[in-house]
Amino acid sequence: MSEMFAHLGLGFGVALTLQNVALCFVGCLVGTLVGVLPGVGPIATIAMLLPITFGLDPVGALIMLAGIYYGAQYGGSTTAILVNIPGEATAVVTTLDGHQMAKQGRAGVALGTAALGSFVAGCFATLVIAALGAPLTKLALLFGPAEYFSLMVMGLCFAVVLARGSILKAFCMIMLGLLLSTVGTDLETGQERMTFGFPPLSDGIDFAVLAMGVFGFAEVLRNLENPEARDVVRAKIGRLLPGWEDIKQSIAPCLRGTLIGGTLGILPGNGAVLGPFASYTLEKKIAKDPSRFGKGAIEGVAGPESANNAGAQTAFIPLLTLGIPPNAVMALMVGAMTIHGIIPGPQVMTKNPELFWGMIASMWIGNLMLLVINLPLVGLWVKLLQVPYRLMFPAILIFCSIGIYSVNNQPVDVAFTALFGLFGYLLIKLGFEPAPMLLGFVLGKLMEEKLRQALIISRGSFMTFIERPISAGLLLVAVAILVIALLPAMSKKRDEVFTE
Amino acid sequence: MSLNKIEAAQGWRIRSTQDFAGGLFMIALAGLALFLARDLPLGSLRQIGPGMLPKSIAVICAALGALLSLNAMRYKGEKLSGWSWRGVLFVLGAAIVFGLTIRGFEIGPLKVPQLGMLVSGPLVVFIAGLAADDVRIKELAIFAVAMTTACALLFKYALSLPIPLAPWLLGI
Amino acid sequence: MKKLLLGLTAALAMTASAQAQSKYPERPITMIVPFAAGGPTDIIARIVGENMSKTLGQQIVVENVAGAGGTTGITRALTAAPDGYTIAMGHLGTFSAAPATYPGLKYDPINGMQTIGLAGGTPILIVAKKNFEPKDLKEFVAYVKANSDKVNEAHAGLGSVSWTTCTLLKGQLGVPKLNSVAYRGTGPALNDLVSGQIDFMCDQIVSVSEQVKAGTIKAYAIASAQRSPALPDVPTTKEAGLPEYQIEAWNGIAAPKGMPKEAVDKLVDALDKALNDETVKKRLLDLGTVLPTKEERTPAGFAALIKRDADKLSPVLAAAPKQ
Repeated sequence: MSEMFAHLGLGFGVALTLQNVALCFVGCLVGTLVGVLPGVGPIATIAMLLPITFGLDPVGALIMLAGIYYGAQYGGSTTAILVNIPGEATAVVTTLDGHQMAKQGRAGVALGTAALGSFVAGCFATLVIAALGAPLTKLALLFGPAEYFSLMVMGLCFAVVLARGSILKAFCMIMLGLLLSTVGTDLETGQERMTFGFPPLSDGIDFAVLAMGVFGFAEVLRNLENPEARDVVRAKIGRLLPGWEDIKQSIAPCLRGTLIGGTLGILPGNGAVLGPFASYTLEKKIAKDPSRFGKGAIEGVAGPESANNAGAQTAFIPLLTLGIPPNAVMALMVGAMTIHGIIPGPQVMTKNPELFWGMIASMWIGNLMLLVINLPLVGLWVKLLQVPYRLMFPAILIFCSIGIYSVNNQPVDVAFTALFGLFGYLLIKLGFEPAPMLLGFVLGKLMEEKLRQALIISRGSFMTFIERPISAGLLLVAVAILVIALLPAMSKKRDEVFTE
Repeated sequence: MSLNKIEAAQGWRIRSTQDFAGGLFMIALAGLALFLARDLPLGSLRQIGPGMLPKSIAVICAALGALLSLNAMRYKGEKLSGWSWRGVLFVLGAAIVFGLTIRGFEIGPLKVPQLGMLVSGPLVVFIAGLAADDVRIKELAIFAVAMTTACALLFKYALSLPIPLAPWLLGI
Repeated sequence: MKKLLLGLTAALAMTASAQAQSKYPERPITMIVPFAAGGPTDIIARIVGENMSKTLGQQIVVENVAGAGGTTGITRALTAAPDGYTIAMGHLGTFSAAPATYPGLKYDPINGMQTIGLAGGTPILIVAKKNFEPKDLKEFVAYVKANSDKVNEAHAGLGSVSWTTCTLLKGQLGVPKLNSVAYRGTGPALNDLVSGQIDFMCDQIVSVSEQVKAGTIKAYAIASAQRSPALPDVPTTKEAGLPEYQIEAWNGIAAPKGMPKEAVDKLVDALDKALNDETVKKRLLDLGTVLPTKEERTPAGFAALIKRDADKLSPVLAAAPKQ
């Protein structure tokens, strides 16, 4: 324990120099701004700003890049709450209740809760990384392809609970998401699958394209239809920051979210993406009145946002201790580290202790910065909602277009997004919820990859998923979730028939 | 289950056009996927082929769609609502125009040079803006120019994204 | 309108100020990197490109156009106007392996492009989980041949460097149908190698050197002519008894065919100056890169390298089981 504080002391010594604090601030600020813009994600930003860090020392450069990363994560939630566009997979859940809160004039409270929840989660995650970073690495190594597959199955079962309406329709959407995820070149054989022979589809459908389409564009179309609904959003501003009652309601979800998100974040197979979904599921399940969820429940913002931030931070554990990047942003961090002559791996902690602990200390400082930057900005963001909608949606459109273009520098991506906008509008008309589809899509790719890997390694035996204890445990949880979710639904359906 | 019998006794008819159409939609998508994946080999359990997952997921989609449609004939539900062509046309059209003009394109005899963001930007804002019922042309035009300038400064200069501004005029 | 004019004047002023030099280059040059930002090719492009910008007096803007194993970006670069303002940083896969891997390829790296020069080579290592039975490369070869139904090999997807180099190895060992497990990227593959789910893989030195040093995985050999200063204890394939397995993952610059000679000469010169710069050299060496020889920095030398590796890889890749 004393060793941990000695390490943290060393870290804060490095991170609290004037230069590094300034870099952390700049990183968080740029990250927040970029994250707020729909479409421009942290990956593009970090890549663009990488050359600027050439002149800095490695610790400073990494502190700034890490700041951009969590700044963008946080900024993404702002867009999810204000205009119902999730910039990243982890912000999908925030749209469910966050945007509903905004519609009820509680945008400020939602943004404030997200900021405070993220901060609390960040503080805990920093301590966890400092105390348990090294031993937790072992958890990552326990997860082989079979375990990941079972984890993904469990994740898909969460999606059922996300549904706001009919469970059958939620199932439809999950399967549709899975189906969309199989579009593109097959990883193993290189065969094109369902691409219409169209080259831009050969790498599959980009998450940004799908999310901007079915959430962003389709939402604009939906709002254009009922002018009254959108004016209600403008009329009400409400209080700017969460009150005592809100905070009391959020504390427990926030802590549970931190625990869930932090644990899943350690898994190197991009487990962090499941964190917000898992947290939302849990909150909805243990709530006294689950029907409030999807209609602006503050727990539905506090829990997932904390999980999101905790996961974003613990995702550094496999990178710093194993040298293995769990997701695309972390892969970019590997690039940044190698440019500065530090090759991430098991020896970073012993060979560059000032870098390792400096970064961990800077995570806490970064979270504080985010709070300092974002709480004053809440008022500004909420004011944005007062822009007349006839000007707001063309602005959303130009930001989305530029953002999507810059993901791959492919103009055809913008046209695809429009196509998915039409698709999303159709789904709205047919009464389908897009959120479970997006989760199915995100998990689908990983799930197929892991299923095939597990079966090649087990030489085609499905028993591998049951014989391995962790995998079996995860599958058991999945079954339990399904049973709990389906039983009341079945009885409810019969009640409905009864009342008719 | 007796209740279902009462319902069933009233005959099979479409009680929710929304769910019924949703079911058909799922079946249609599944059919399209099965058609597109028809040549992909299934492989074996030991070495799953590229067609295994798309085909099995498509079958599940179709089954769920069928179930949804059948349910729509038994339980009451939402009706289909109107469709706003104006929004679809202008909003989605604007995005497509942006995609076509930002780097230029060639479709058959039609050839548009690389116009860049200084042209595509105002176009996307202006065309999209026409979708609003309460559109004010003059305000929209000024807004289009202002937004484009702001975006050019933000994306090109502040974030230095490699997005073409106006290659035909400025060379960048 | 006023704001647009202001924006235009500002933009014009910026281009005008940089126009004081000679004819080429008059405006920024786009360097297309056919992979996502942050990957090995992207990093090399940014390090080299930054220095080349100084020599050329114009910014080299890196544009990441990822897709289809890098062939999407290279196709766009090579079908651009041959005016010297669009160039590309490709690698072993996109220039030597792609014609055999992607049957419908829309460019011809041997006859249909203007090579500029090699930017750097990255050695390939054969690595295995730490408790894999064979102790050295000779035992490894014998073991894999004898247990071809038991051994699992990992790679980062069809067309990737690890897939290309491992397919070459399997072809040379005569076990092309070895169980091969595909991952999306080398990171997850490495994770499963460290945890012992899979037995061996081939990958670039920069991805695996720290794990080898820490002893979490072991390296049998390096497929280059010389040992690497980063891992001096790892023998070359020649020393360890598999001399025919010689392959490097390299990155180099090419442009559309038919470019003016002035532009080619200026780019070749700028690349050479960049590779002689001490900071660039240090950065590249830190990455485990082998700096190119004088010969490889020329268009002809780079073209010869592309041809040599294409000849080596084509028969193996064409015969590889892709179904």
